[in-house]
Amino acid sequence: MERFLNFLFIGLGNGAIYAMLGLGLVVIYRSTGLLNFAQGEMAMFTTFIVWSLSDAGLPLWLALIGGMAAGFVIGAVVHQVIVRPVGDPHQKPLAVVIVTIGMFLGFNALAKLIWGNEQQSLGNLFGRGEIDILGTAVAWQKLGALLILAIEAIIFWVIFQRTKIGLAMRSVASNPESSALCGVPVTRILMIGWGLAAALGAVGGTFTAPTSAVDANLMQLPLIFAFAAITLGGFDSFVGAVVGGLLIGILTDVVPRYVDIFEKMPLAPAFLLILVVLLVRPEGIFGQKKVTRV
Amino acid sequence: MSTASEPIAGTSAPLAPQPPVAKAGRNWLSIGTFGVFAIILIVLPQVLNAFWTGRVTGWIPIAIAALGLNLLTGYNGQISVGHGALYGLGAYATALVINEWAWSFPLAIVFSAIVCFGAGVLIGLPALRIKGLYLALVTLAVATLFPQVLEQFSDTTGGSTGLGVTSPELYRGRIRDRSIKFEAPEWTGLASDQWRYYFFLVVAAICFLLVRNIVNSRAGRSIIAIRDNETAAEVSGVNVARAKVFTFGLSSALAGVGGSLLALYLARVSSGSFTLTTSLYFLVAVVIGGAQSIAGPAIGAVFIGVFNDVITPDLPEAWKPASPLILGALLIILMLVAPGGVAGLIRQFTGRMRTRKLVNSAINNPSSGGTT
Amino acid sequence: MALLEVSGLTAGYGIVQVLFGLEFTVDAGEAVVILGANGAGKTTTLRAVSGMISGGGAVSFDCKQVQGSRPEQLLRAGIAHVPQGRGTITDLTVDENLRVGAYSRSGSDVEADIERWYDVFPRLGERKTQHAGSMSGGEQQMLAIARAFMSRPRLVLLDEPSLGLAPLVTREVFDRVAELVRETGTAVLLVEQNANLALAFASRAYVLEAGRIVNAGTSQELRGDESIRKAYLGS
Repeated sequence: MERFLNFLFIGLGNGAIYAMLGLGLVVIYRSTGLLNFAQGEMAMFTTFIVWSLSDAGLPLWLALIGGMAAGFVIGAVVHQVIVRPVGDPHQKPLAVVIVTIGMFLGFNALAKLIWGNEQQSLGNLFGRGEIDILGTAVAWQKLGALLILAIEAIIFWVIFQRTKIGLAMRSVASNPESSALCGVPVTRILMIGWGLAAALGAVGGTFTAPTSAVDANLMQLPLIFAFAAITLGGFDSFVGAVVGGLLIGILTDVVPRYVDIFEKMPLAPAFLLILVVLLVRPEGIFGQKKVTRV
Repeated sequence: MSTASEPIAGTSAPLAPQPPVAKAGRNWLSIGTFGVFAIILIVLPQVLNAFWTGRVTGWIPIAIAALGLNLLTGYNGQISVGHGALYGLGAYATALVINEWAWSFPLAIVFSAIVCFGAGVLIGLPALRIKGLYLALVTLAVATLFPQVLEQFSDTTGGSTGLGVTSPELYRGRIRDRSIKFEAPEWTGLASDQWRYYFFLVVAAICFLLVRNIVNSRAGRSIIAIRDNETAAEVSGVNVARAKVFTFGLSSALAGVGGSLLALYLARVSSGSFTLTTSLYFLVAVVIGGAQSIAGPAIGAVFIGVFNDVITPDLPEAWKPASPLILGALLIILMLVAPGGVAGLIRQFTGRMRTRKLVNSAINNPSSGGTT
Repeated sequence: MALLEVSGLTAGYGIVQVLFGLEFTVDAGEAVVILGANGAGKTTTLRAVSGMISGGGAVSFDCKQVQGSRPEQLLRAGIAHVPQGRGTITDLTVDENLRVGAYSRSGSDVEADIERWYDVFPRLGERKTQHAGSMSGGEQQMLAIARAFMSRPRLVLLDEPSLGLAPLVTREVFDRVAELVRETGTAVLLVEQNANLALAFASRAYVLEAGRIVNAGTSQELRGDESIRKAYLGS
């Protein structure tokens, strides 16, 4: 029982990271209607920035905030310079996928170019202490990840559902043309959406780093899990990203330890789950069916 | 319906409907270009040394896999980021039948094609309900899962060390497993690397011709119609489900053939050859070459090949890790400037030349045709 | 000076030119219609005025040159565009659609305005929290019009409200808009195929054919005109 709880909390801790990445994916999907395959690499890149700031002497929390700010700027610039000129993702889905793949390759290589191939280490935001829960030792870091996740999710929900700018973002995601006709500054809104998503990536990466070491491959697998999370939860749902992320985290950390055949294939249980979900309820657990009148 | 508010059709976005192109057979420029390419392809091994012939041979499996991906994504509109897994499946299938049962190379290739066709159908069935970006995601997951599956069943697959593709040989009085070789028959007078090249070329030619014939046939038009507007295709009598699943199967079979050739080429299959990056590079090849043309995948494969084998090794050491950056930047610029890839550019160019000819002939013969 | 003055308006899509130098005006509080058949360039005209597509020529609004401005800027200047096909923001609710319409405004009277629109269009009030995309064509048209008025514009561009609507519904829409115009004093530039309703609604009219204005006058004059009668009024 103790071991199970141990795995459970590890899974929750990792799941929180997938959920954080997933939140960023949902923000971009809800504001621009596309899936950013480069989300993980952008997160890795901003995590390196956090590391650089920390290495230069800044306390970790400040470095994180610096990284988030840098991430915001990078995200906004990427949207403005790369994503926007390509066109409407609804009309040209392949072009948009290609561009994000290009960014995937680009950010990865750029990180290698700037920071080299060595692994760097990043400290724990919440220190190395542990707390006893139900008989198992749980790292504060894992609990901290869950806490930050909850805060992020709440902040985003509030922004999107209760603020004017959130309304503008949802409006632009649904119908950018009409939004412009209503006076919504569409381009600025999109830039903000991308900036927010990239800033979120920095947070996710900073939580991943202590266990994995910071190198260019930091976010490749977490990104897949994050996609699995939002597929499970619904591309357009923040709640879905959170629930999906935690579920995927538990599945990938708990199941392979108990079911032998999955031992070396941690992605497999998550993959099977999303297959089932997509076949049975394609919009995800919390997603909304798109209304279209033919 | 008011037409003034619709943008001009025939824009060169990768999945946008293309303006009708005159049949290639009637176009001298097109025949000429094709002829020149064919000659280059045939003469190549005579001109290059063994090392470079070998390198170029290695590009052919990529071309065939890209051809398959193009059929699925370019012509049928189903986005797949996971063709690397099918490529790998084909490679391992070939390794298996050669190692275990000493099948001949052509039989092994056919086996891989059949196995991958089946796998493609299996994936294509649920793909009927999973569309667009969701499908891209699922295939992305498949591509990431594949190396993990190989690791899990490393007893059979050899994991990251992989399997050698071997055949038993009598060597110094004992039967040993040695890596397979391509031996050119006496009467051809070719070196083994040249023979291998022509063997691969023939397989590729068969595949490309097959796809060309399908695309130009009625089945092909159905496939394309589904990409442009699935609902409209359905009500026009196209059996959408059957066409989509079949296309998935065929596209996978082609990837399998490519993988099979890769196994024959490397004489070894290991998980490192079939990662997510492999799938991404196929997609890159399709897009750079041009997503809606037959020659596109070949152009794209050459591009990837040149990029990996010619350009990257020549970069200064410090720049080497940045080489995917160049590829990435190129992809982005391409999407902005020439979404139809190289083939699209060529099509635009020849289209413009043809228009100029029409305009010139209209100017020179004012009495023929024209509207008042 | 008229509220809206357009001269030499040209526009097109890519290499295809659709408008060949249009000239028309709309005075404050006036209802003007541009009549035209399919393909004449009606929608293109409104899009060029509201900045959705770029065009040549001079457009002045409220005595200021505004050609080349983007839709967001024109909205703030006081021009609201109800696009062809309604352009409802389908994933938002009715209430949210109206709120977006008021994006450029701030202040507490936005709420009061929204309530007012629910009075004017009771059917919208009943469907406050319903997703706009699931409403009928007529309801969406009313929503789109209310949304445009939410920004308290001086001029509303209305693109073919009759498109895709049953005759009874269309009549109702026109009646409501006429009421609104009378009450708020907002100017309306309407483009329409349905000449009967349009000429009953507007006080002045232009006729657009193949990208050129071929006739102009008051509604009464045009109704009496033989060629217009034959081409557009079916008698």
